[in-house]
Amino acid sequence: MPVYDRGYTHWEPSGGRAYPAWLVIAKRGISEPLKKRWLLMLTLAAWVPAIVKAVMIYVKLKAGDIADLLVGNWTSIDATGFLSFMEGQRFFVFVLLAIVGAGLISTDRRDNGLSLYFSRPLGLASYIGGKALVIMFFYAMVTLFPAYGLCLYAYSIAPDAVGSDLLFLIPLRATFYWLLSGASISLVLLAFSSLGKRSIFVMVWWTIMVMGTETIGTIGKNLLNSDAFEALNFLGNYHNAASGLFSSEARLDVSPWLSLVVLLVWTAAAVFILRKQIRPVEVVS
Amino acid sequence: MEGLVIKVNRSENGTDFGITVSNLSFAYAKAPVLKGVDFHLEKSAIGLLGPNGSGKTTLLRCLLGQVPLKKDQVSVLGWDMAKKARIARTGLGWMPETGGIIPDMSGVAVVAYMGELSGMPARDAMQRAHEVLHYVGLGDERYRPCDKYSQGMKQRLKLAQALVHDPEWIFLDEPTSGLDPRGRVSILELIRDLAHHKGLGVILSTHLLADVESVCQEILVLRDGELMAQQQVDAGAREPRQVFEVEGFGNEEAFLAGLSALGAEVTQEHRLLLVTLDLSTVSGAESDSGFDTGAGVKAILAVALDNEYALRRLRRRPVTLAEEFYRMVEA
Repeated sequence: MPVYDRGYTHWEPSGGRAYPAWLVIAKRGISEPLKKRWLLMLTLAAWVPAIVKAVMIYVKLKAGDIADLLVGNWTSIDATGFLSFMEGQRFFVFVLLAIVGAGLISTDRRDNGLSLYFSRPLGLASYIGGKALVIMFFYAMVTLFPAYGLCLYAYSIAPDAVGSDLLFLIPLRATFYWLLSGASISLVLLAFSSLGKRSIFVMVWWTIMVMGTETIGTIGKNLLNSDAFEALNFLGNYHNAASGLFSSEARLDVSPWLSLVVLLVWTAAAVFILRKQIRPVEVVS
Repeated sequence: MEGLVIKVNRSENGTDFGITVSNLSFAYAKAPVLKGVDFHLEKSAIGLLGPNGSGKTTLLRCLLGQVPLKKDQVSVLGWDMAKKARIARTGLGWMPETGGIIPDMSGVAVVAYMGELSGMPARDAMQRAHEVLHYVGLGDERYRPCDKYSQGMKQRLKLAQALVHDPEWIFLDEPTSGLDPRGRVSILELIRDLAHHKGLGVILSTHLLADVESVCQEILVLRDGELMAQQQVDAGAREPRQVFEVEGFGNEEAFLAGLSALGAEVTQEHRLLLVTLDLSTVSGAESDSGFDTGAGVKAILAVALDNEYALRRLRRRPVTLAEEFYRMVEA
């Protein structure tokens, strides 16, 4: 019987595979933004630095150390070079995550979507996990995936020159870094998103968090000669804390351990806010 | 097979599809909303009535397990909602009063998404989304972004997403809110069909008595968080004192004397005689399920026959839900 001829029928399960709720939320959260062409273009634009670096690597591998004199760290294809690359992507991280992440919870709060979600068989962890995966995916799109691409590219053009580190250890470190920093960044951004019902409000707070804290760190260091302000630098702390992982020197003038502690505090605060804010029922005290 | 497992395991013991609430009290930020509510419902069409702020929506949220509950306070489909709310929700549909749509998505995408979140395989969810959207009358509009829908269409969409996973119960919070009369009638027809012909349990929360009267078999009346009454919509028919409308001609004096001998009170309303009869005094009127209106009619008919009074009209005056509701709320 054609669909348009049917009244209400009871569902007869086909026996197909049902996905867990967090995966359903993540799938939808990833596919919806990618339908917007301009966002897809922005995501692809984030690959331009990787393409430039690929060209530099080619030059270095073909022209040797002379290339270093011309382009410095850009041609580095060791762990430090990849940390520098991911650090260099922070503008795209900031912009893309603001666009994708700001509305993830605020829109649900605005449209009473939380009530719908929590009328389904899913819990808080599934909801937050699914939303966090969306942010982590786009974070990977501008950091991890280009890094993978570069590793493969460098290895493919000169396997003897770069060694097997590029195939195993560096991608492993990059994945580990993405996993931890991505989870933390996602939770912080989601916490901001849960605080308001308008995406623009969330974007303002995200801008203050990323650009504001970096500016404060720079001003504190240059005008007040105090390195302690650098511990406020939100994204900078991730790179600083990861310097040990990538066998690199500290990226800020504060200890990587201090950066790690600061980030743990931010993440814990984000989890606290999310637990408090995300409820199916708006409670007016 | 997961979809199958989810559907088969909806009721804890496979037979209990009812709802039991025991001594349920609930407060938001120390402001009590529900106070010691007790009831049991079998799967049918239930009207949840009460003035604004009486706790109707909160009660529905308790039934969905959306708020923290104590053990054994609320049991739905045999599941204790304090512990197993997520499992129970595979068999529950929820239509919120406000919001409840996901912008930037087409109608069919929203409904399929909700189906998947309920544990349906993606393909089943999409198939069902098309079916239920046709059923609620949004077949032609299903590919439009849902935030561009009119109020009536949004209500239908919300009903569709509540139905997509074929729940055992649907909880509808003011489903006719903001609809024009035609839209209201059409939504009520859908709800009536679901409850009376498709075997779904329906809890219809509203302050519109006519909506409940046209759809529901049973009502729960809440006032200030307390359950004032739980009864059948036509419970008035089972009360011992019933009013009959009588119109006729002939020997009226003898007829009135006969009614008086029967113990009836008679008042005049225009051309009608309103005969209030206590059925507990009429032989054969009382039964296990209440009082038989027919016995009252027979008794009056017999008095008319004995006193040569020809009847043009004789019927029990229906007790409107509005009368019952106001009587209960104002009690």
